[in-house]
Amino acid sequence: MKRTLVLLALVFFVLTTLVPLVWMVSMSVRGEAVLIRGLGDLIPSEPTLEHYRAVWGESAFARFFFNSALVAGLVVGGNLVFASMVAYGCARLRMRGSRVLMATVLGMLMIPKQVTMVPLYVLMSWLHLIDTYGALTLPFMVDALNVFLVYQFLQTVPPDLEDAARIDGAGEAVVFFRIVMPLIKPVLAVVGINTFLVNWNSFLYPFILTASEEMRTVPVGLALYAQGQYSIDWGSLMAGSVLSVVPVLVVFFLFQRQIVSGLTAGAIRG
Amino acid sequence: MGGRERAGLLFTAPWLLTFAAFGLFPVLFSLGLSVSRFNPTHPDAARWVGLANYRELLTDGTFWQSVGNTLFFAVGTIPFTTAIALAMALLVHARPPASGFFRTALFVPTVVSLVVVSLVFRYIYAPTGMLNAILSRVGVEGRAWLQEPDLALPAIMAMDVWAAVGYYMILMLAGLKAIPREVYDSAEVDGAGWWTRLVHITIPCLRPILLFVIVINTIRSLQVFVEIVVMTQGGPLNRTLTVVYYLYETAFYKLRMGYGSAVAYALFAVLFLVTLVQLRLLRFGRAVGD
Repeated sequence: MKRTLVLLALVFFVLTTLVPLVWMVSMSVRGEAVLIRGLGDLIPSEPTLEHYRAVWGESAFARFFFNSALVAGLVVGGNLVFASMVAYGCARLRMRGSRVLMATVLGMLMIPKQVTMVPLYVLMSWLHLIDTYGALTLPFMVDALNVFLVYQFLQTVPPDLEDAARIDGAGEAVVFFRIVMPLIKPVLAVVGINTFLVNWNSFLYPFILTASEEMRTVPVGLALYAQGQYSIDWGSLMAGSVLSVVPVLVVFFLFQRQIVSGLTAGAIRG
Repeated sequence: MGGRERAGLLFTAPWLLTFAAFGLFPVLFSLGLSVSRFNPTHPDAARWVGLANYRELLTDGTFWQSVGNTLFFAVGTIPFTTAIALAMALLVHARPPASGFFRTALFVPTVVSLVVVSLVFRYIYAPTGMLNAILSRVGVEGRAWLQEPDLALPAIMAMDVWAAVGYYMILMLAGLKAIPREVYDSAEVDGAGWWTRLVHITIPCLRPILLFVIVINTIRSLQVFVEIVVMTQGGPLNRTLTVVYYLYETAFYKLRMGYGSAVAYALFAVLFLVTLVQLRLLRFGRAVGD
């Protein structure tokens, strides 16, 4: 009895959670005439891929997708290398002031992105970086949370292997890339996956730091399409939305464990 | 300087320089802007105005309207988000069949971008959308959910609850797992029922996590922006104008970047206070055994 109630309640919650997403997919495969009637039934009678063809072929959407993929790739790579380098430098290389540095980095976690959107825009325009890949990547290269996560993980790794390699005459770069990076793979997975998710979905900075259609990322492109049109082609917009969610869902189903641990840690970012 | 220390400098320099330019500098520069008049199309006319921007804030009716809307948003969503997330976490934690599937399914909206969520709900709320279609089936007349002044903000708030609960459920689930089994065993011996155990054991044990969830949700709710850009742009009649949307409009439409920065710092001051509370709670949470 109790078990049945629990199951029923969960089924109810799952349905409310999934119905809007199913509606998104359903609307993306409907023909125009059916769309206007806007019925609440979720399974279209004659599914069609015309909206997907339209979105991918005719519009600038493919370009948005390319931009998002390129930017996410650069940002994930940059964070993996540079965030772990700085964390390693602070944790292991007898840096003076590394404690002060980590405190500053942690303090930065509390400053919301909104506070810096105006000065960041001004800075980018001084540097002539507005509407470039520089503007889309540089602000995301300095995610303090990633440094903190790697720094914390390094505290649990004994330095014996690194010391042994040094005694064998290995230089610091070799020690880091050959010995340390493989040892910290678990935390690098968390950093990489969560950086990808945050960056792929990010809106505020790409929104204010780009001007031309060619430089938009997927979220900015979708949002501005919905703003600019007098009458919105909902079928195509939903098809674009579905396409934009696919990479995220693939990553989600492959790496759920890392995502959960990253989100739990990311809670301190607020 | 030893070889290792020099290596340390080389290892930290690339990130630190980028951080100084794009992390630290904007924060300080923002403070400077907030006491200036600055229009990016006339940079030569920029000048220091002291606290004039902050004084203007005190009497700016639109700003206070945005503060009111934002507070309404926070107060009107957080109790629902917390209660529903707790209910979901308790249900999944009760280990029904396929609890892994349920957890995953409830968590999915968390990874979908807020832009996409907002677009889908804008369509659901549209006059010819799903919500009105369902309502008409049960004989209720449809509404223009995002165009009517009294409905627009509550409609966005309902969407926010839908989009946010999965994340807080995961945090609460972690908290539930940390409660030792023995606590329940002794209660069961004493004959405590389901409700008694929930009120007298589970919720008190979960208190640190619950407080933590409420605080981070407060911080997030005070920064609502994307939903407004995609769904209403502050309208109708400024009834969905949030503080961050007002900040955006002031800085990037009216090009009053100094005044916009003052809005940003006012928001920051509030968030900073909330964060201080959060830090105290975190310390408390760790002492209890997070």
